[in-house]
Amino acid sequence: MKYLSLSFFLLFSLNAFTQSILLKGGLVHSGTGESAQIQDILISGNIISRVGNNLAVNGTTKIIELNGLPVTPGLISPTSNLGIVEINALDVTRDDESDLLKAGFSIFNAFNPHSTGIPWNRSNGVTSAITSPGSSSFPLFGMASYFVLDGSLEIKGLKDVAMFGRMGSSYGSRAETLSMLESLLELGQQASSMPIEEVLEMRLADQLELQTQDILALKRLVNNDLPFVLETNRAVDILQAIALKKKYGLNLILASVEEAPLVINQLKASNTPVIIDPMDNIPDSFDELGSSLMLGKILDEAGIKIMFSTQRSHNYHLMRQGSGNAVAYGMSYETAIQGMTQTVAETFKLGARGTITQGKIADIVVWNADPLEPSSFPEFVYIAGKVQDLSSRATRLTERYTNKENKPSAYKH
Amino acid sequence: MKNISLLSVPLLLILGCSDLDLPSEATGETRHDAFASTYEPMQSQPTLFKSANIYDGLGGEFLDYDLLVADGKIVEMGRSLSQSGVKVIDASNKWITPGIIDIHSHMGVYSAPGVTSSSDGNEATSPVTAEVWAEHSIWTQDPQFALALKGGVTSFHVLPGSANLFGGRGATFKNISKNTIQAMKFPNAPHSLKMACGENPKRVYGNRRQSPATRMGNMAGYRSAWIDAVDYREDMQESDADKHPKRDLGMDTLMGVLDGEILIQNHCYRAEEMAMMVELSKEFNYKITTFHHAVEAYKIADLLADEGICAAMWADWWGFKHEAYDMVPANIAIIDQARNGTGCAIVHSDDEVGIQHLNQEAAKAMAAGNRAGFNISKAHAMRWITSNPAKAAGILQSTGSIELGKDADIVLWTDNPFSIYARAQQVLIDGAVAFDMNNSQVQPVTDFDLGIIQPQTIRVQ
Repeated sequence: MKYLSLSFFLLFSLNAFTQSILLKGGLVHSGTGESAQIQDILISGNIISRVGNNLAVNGTTKIIELNGLPVTPGLISPTSNLGIVEINALDVTRDDESDLLKAGFSIFNAFNPHSTGIPWNRSNGVTSAITSPGSSSFPLFGMASYFVLDGSLEIKGLKDVAMFGRMGSSYGSRAETLSMLESLLELGQQASSMPIEEVLEMRLADQLELQTQDILALKRLVNNDLPFVLETNRAVDILQAIALKKKYGLNLILASVEEAPLVINQLKASNTPVIIDPMDNIPDSFDELGSSLMLGKILDEAGIKIMFSTQRSHNYHLMRQGSGNAVAYGMSYETAIQGMTQTVAETFKLGARGTITQGKIADIVVWNADPLEPSSFPEFVYIAGKVQDLSSRATRLTERYTNKENKPSAYKH
Repeated sequence: MKNISLLSVPLLLILGCSDLDLPSEATGETRHDAFASTYEPMQSQPTLFKSANIYDGLGGEFLDYDLLVADGKIVEMGRSLSQSGVKVIDASNKWITPGIIDIHSHMGVYSAPGVTSSSDGNEATSPVTAEVWAEHSIWTQDPQFALALKGGVTSFHVLPGSANLFGGRGATFKNISKNTIQAMKFPNAPHSLKMACGENPKRVYGNRRQSPATRMGNMAGYRSAWIDAVDYREDMQESDADKHPKRDLGMDTLMGVLDGEILIQNHCYRAEEMAMMVELSKEFNYKITTFHHAVEAYKIADLLADEGICAAMWADWWGFKHEAYDMVPANIAIIDQARNGTGCAIVHSDDEVGIQHLNQEAAKAMAAGNRAGFNISKAHAMRWITSNPAKAAGILQSTGSIELGKDADIVLWTDNPFSIYARAQQVLIDGAVAFDMNNSQVQPVTDFDLGIIQPQTIRVQ
């Protein structure tokens, strides 16, 4: 079995992780939007120390010949439920919702590095992800955190990197949602000039039973400190969101934006990055009538920064398939790679990750073929310079059920 | 000129017990004629595709071949064909496949937009609703049909949902927008009966404090219904028509299964539950055609191959519920390769986005299979989205492969269809161009799409 031989190799190389590694002659997609070229990558410790042609190395450097295999930065999912939802339909396995908190809900301390989705996504090239709270009837769901998917109990990441929320069709009027959002942002503004205790006593805060955490989060929002991911689709709602951004100085990121092509000039002028699912061309609601497979191309041509979400949970690596479809419909190839790497790192201020350039943390994926082809898979995944084990429950189950030994499957392990 | 005879597989229904032209006295003529297909192909012109690369949907790959379609049928395939008076399309460096078929769709019964007024897929009022027919719910103006067409889908099977033990009848359609449901129905295609195992029925009814609330309750529910159906069938077979019981729509459906006219499409995730359903089918002497979703099919791959049961699966969806936790991406390949490659694997969508990209889903499944140690070619994997779902829908005698005499349901792709960059350039249904990516006049626009955002435009240009 292929899996077995690979794990032998991994054991060997894990022992030698402090050694420098030269990834020689890969087709390097740097993630910066520039065209790929054949280059060498030198990893020293957890850092990319050099990228270039024919890099000279000392005798102790481990050299891996890539012979033109594609290389990308480790993929970063801009939204996920990794580590906080094991099985969607089982509430007892979910930590993505709060009954008490609203804007101030932080999922950070719920993160389970042993969740089965982590090795699965890592083995498919996703090396880190933003994990976001589940959607709620309240327009602000709470704050997302960033996690490195190395599976370690020593959790590496960044706490509360963005607020997530939604505006659009609901059982109430969107006018009320908008008005509520404004009132909440104003509470955040007031928190800069008066004690939190007094803000909590204000009529709206009292009515909504807001907590200290909620007010502190709102304060970060209006101080342009916390990126604000707002899911919205209808053309006129996108314009309302842009107006909110201007009025309150928000660090706005729009998600879904299926009708963006109808307001593309205004969106471009607002300098707002977006998160899209390029494959979702279904007019699922009366907010999304303009939905189409051309969304990625139109946003790209306008020069808008694009990141990618996936239709369904648990398979965040499928942003490769989504962005690949966008490329099939006219988006540029390097925008697709950039949208899964650098754009996420920069938009959410994730530190020195997201590109294959000198000095960045060495989160790197070597692919067997074109990473936008959904049939491609990683040959090697590095997180902070360490080669990762690529097994998962799926590979374990596959080994068990392709093992033809004549004994019950429970004895094949 | 060297031609290859493509009639290597007899044009028979492989499903054994199904015979579409049953003598009317066996079942009563009225039932057979009710809501029958009135489908008529669109106008077509004889067309010769030159120098195409072709997957025939049966495992064959033919590079640089010509394909002639006329009168709605596949007429000839070979090298250097010529024919006067036909439209000639240069297909060099392009690919032709049979039209894609989805064995699990809810288009029309869960139309877009997904609002409560269009939620017509689950008659979740009783665990046994074998009397309802999915086709009676379909909205012909669902914009999802045209989106699937753009993805190369020429036929699809619409099923009721999985809330009930017996969800009702499913039916198969040609992907041609028409204003009546009968006009879209695939001529002479058998009905199916949707059954559902596991979490869904027990959750829906258990939450209402009624049976089934457990998996054993599910089993008891199926068995009770089959006991009634066996009685009903015996009574209906009485030679004295006066002794026949009053006609019962639900029992008619179950009797149709026992008679082998209606095919069982069984939503079931877990291995032991699928095995239990096989036992159930033996207890009451009926045949299961396909297990749907079948996330754990790989655990009982040999059993399914031995029983001649297909499994319709996703490439990689998992984790949304407990019975979908043990996903392996090689599931489809393992089913395909069971018992020396005699398994019947299908890639299905159950999804309005997935149905548009079944070729990509097959590509993922093939790659995962080959990583697990199999050696599966693209030509072979093409079966998973063409001839195998055709077999499972009982329409393989007329579509699902590129064989002489079959309906000219074909897709001309811009690139190899296993590549993400491939798009359906033309989609032909019964030889008529139903979609042309380069000609907006040959792209269907539903009533829903017309003037809905702005009166002067269509929904998506």
